[in-house]
Amino acid sequence: MLARTVTHALVGIEPRRVEVEVHIERGLKAFTIVGLPDKACQEAKERVRSGLASAELAWPAGRRITINLAPAQLRKEGSGFDLPIALALLAALEEVPADALDGHAAFGELALDGRLRPVPGALIAAEGARRAGLTRLVCAAESGPEVALAGIEAIGVEHLADAVSYLRGERDPPELPPPEDDFETLAGVPDLRDVRGQERARRALEIAAAGAHNLLLAGPPGTGKTMLACRLPGILPLLGDDASLEVTRIHSVVGERDPGSGLVRVPPFRKPHHSISMAGLIGGGHGGVRPGEASLAHQGVLFLDEAPEFQRAALEALRQPLEEGAVSVARIGGRARFPARFQLVAAMNMCPCGGRGDSAAQCSCTAERVHRYRERLSRALLDRFDLLLMVPRPRAHDLAGAPAEASAPVRERVLAARARLREQPLARTPDADQLLTRAVERLPLSGRGRARVARVAQTIAALAGAEAVEPEHVAEALSFRASAELAA
Amino acid sequence: MSDLATAVFAARTDAHLVDAPRSGRFAVFRTAFDEAAFLRELSARGFRWVGRGDPSFPSRLRSIHDPPPGLFVRGTASLDLLARPSVAVVGARACSPYGASVARMLGRDLAAAGIVVVSGLARGVDAEAHRGALDCGSTVAVLGCGVDRDYPRAHAALALDIAAAGLILSEYPPGVEPAPWRFPARNRIVSGLTLATIVVEARERSGALITADLALDEGREVLAVPGEITSELSRGTNHLLRLGAVPVTCSADVLELVGIDPEVSPERPTLDASLERVRAVVADAATTADEVAQALGESAQGVAAALVELELLGLVEEVDGVYRASP
Repeated sequence: MLARTVTHALVGIEPRRVEVEVHIERGLKAFTIVGLPDKACQEAKERVRSGLASAELAWPAGRRITINLAPAQLRKEGSGFDLPIALALLAALEEVPADALDGHAAFGELALDGRLRPVPGALIAAEGARRAGLTRLVCAAESGPEVALAGIEAIGVEHLADAVSYLRGERDPPELPPPEDDFETLAGVPDLRDVRGQERARRALEIAAAGAHNLLLAGPPGTGKTMLACRLPGILPLLGDDASLEVTRIHSVVGERDPGSGLVRVPPFRKPHHSISMAGLIGGGHGGVRPGEASLAHQGVLFLDEAPEFQRAALEALRQPLEEGAVSVARIGGRARFPARFQLVAAMNMCPCGGRGDSAAQCSCTAERVHRYRERLSRALLDRFDLLLMVPRPRAHDLAGAPAEASAPVRERVLAARARLREQPLARTPDADQLLTRAVERLPLSGRGRARVARVAQTIAALAGAEAVEPEHVAEALSFRASAELAA
Repeated sequence: MSDLATAVFAARTDAHLVDAPRSGRFAVFRTAFDEAAFLRELSARGFRWVGRGDPSFPSRLRSIHDPPPGLFVRGTASLDLLARPSVAVVGARACSPYGASVARMLGRDLAAAGIVVVSGLARGVDAEAHRGALDCGSTVAVLGCGVDRDYPRAHAALALDIAAAGLILSEYPPGVEPAPWRFPARNRIVSGLTLATIVVEARERSGALITADLALDEGREVLAVPGEITSELSRGTNHLLRLGAVPVTCSADVLELVGIDPEVSPERPTLDASLERVRAVVADAATTADEVAQALGESAQGVAAALVELELLGLVEEVDGVYRASP
């Protein structure tokens, strides 16, 4: 007796078609899974056996059962194969009609009592099924909404017995709960209203949002660098349909999404700790290949707090995604290319002890130490920051001024500026050009530095709604350039 | 010509020697020492040697009580440079932005007036003084290691610039590594070469104060730049002032002391009203763009743009987000 079902394995964030073949023959009692299953997948045996018993289906006595996961050379990871194995087995046992599985894919983990559990990556498995021309995917009820996002019919079931009765044609596909309001809102994102004072830093954030510029904030601890950075997603445009699906896929693989939540609409904000490894940051890991923080920040913001404390190798590895908008990772478990087009925001102290730039604290660092600390950010990496701002501690009490502007109006301006920048590039007036040339002669400003200032000036002009880039826009852009000490 | 042998012997034995010692060890060393070969190799590497007996050896340095046996020289400039009026500018390595900007200004103004600025190529005040001097003249760096050692390494590029426009000196032959006790010895050459020593910023127990003491011992002038009385970095300089050092309030003070007529400084360009308002706030005290904006009740972006304009005019300097008036 032979039967097969189709499911999809995850390679990075790409689906790969896997056929689950079951062969049952007379012989000594045995149950074997072949085709490079990992430990979790190997353990499917126990879950499937127990699940079948809980669904009051008979386990074949005195039979030799072989499961083959084809193609055999592809590593199969995770527990998503439980359901396809169970269904193929039932088809081979003729518990469900053999042709009932045509046009269906399956993906999900079995509990010992036969209930179905959602597995990360359902969205990608569903996309694979759609691309393979399949129309329905049997999965856990919780995964239903996620599967439906891929444009395929989700057969979300609570229990293995439900799946069986559906496949026998005894009942209609179970009703999916109506999709949640698809539009994730900005409600949960912190608001700029909470950031008092720090006019320059707020302005830098607005320009960064409007022009998608990378931003580096340097200042003593407690000046609100982190507070500012995590408010950036709140003034960025929401993700479009394509971007949203792509981001949701990445987040689905690593199991960051609650099963059943809709598409990611708010640009993601990722804040890895500075002890993160290179694999954690750009992707990789043992065995399989998982997307790293850089990819989880795709279409959103990657925030590196205490940037110089990160491992040098991890920081330098970010140069590829910053350049290409994607990372290629090769590991024993395979090779993958993850999208990673993020906006980089980094924060650092002005010296290792953090006292520099703080009039209330005495900095105890030697010149040598400060120099070494700042050198940890390589020139090549610093070159990627269009906007650089020193945020010294405000001299006390004047912070509690008037309440600050909220995110909403800032966001309006950002959206308007982005629309303007899309229409056409703004030219510099002769006066603005002259100012820029004067600055190159007079300040420590390299050729690349000049290009950065020109880009930022254009964004500032767009924010101001100007027809062309005026000298005052260039002057403000110059105020965000690298200070001599960092740029020298 | 036993100077060279003495210098090399002193470096090998870690001794501080003024004249050739009368030890048997030195006698043995001297017989084995091939002076001509040493000099050939030295000049092949582009370095020079000037012994104390040489007429081009700086006479001011010869007159101190423990002059070096001679100097190893790197750089293309003529040794006449050392005979010109010169001033030492020394101070803390971990200086404040204020100290750095004053050191740079002094270096620039003194070099422009034809004075040779001497310092020790250390971080902070030393390097800023060298840089300022290189902007419009030449400068002399005295090292506490061989002239082929770039120490600190971060100043390798600066050393190249100095070698191209001025001189780098050391009493130690090439190859000698820096050691803590060599720096005070180096300081006696810095103060010995010059008419006067200016201390820009110094903590209570600082190498710069050693230089000042050495200068006083030799009867040279000592000047100090006044700083905030609350700052650790001004303890040493303010202490010197209390002991009677000449305060430096502008470059002209120094020029006057060494007998050079200061030129009248050019008038500041007239600014439009809004720039002038911003400049006035910064001129009162070092401050951030946000604070200027708050003081004037204007937008931070406008103030930031104005500060850049002022920076381009050379009226304002920025370090780590803090703006101050250029001295």
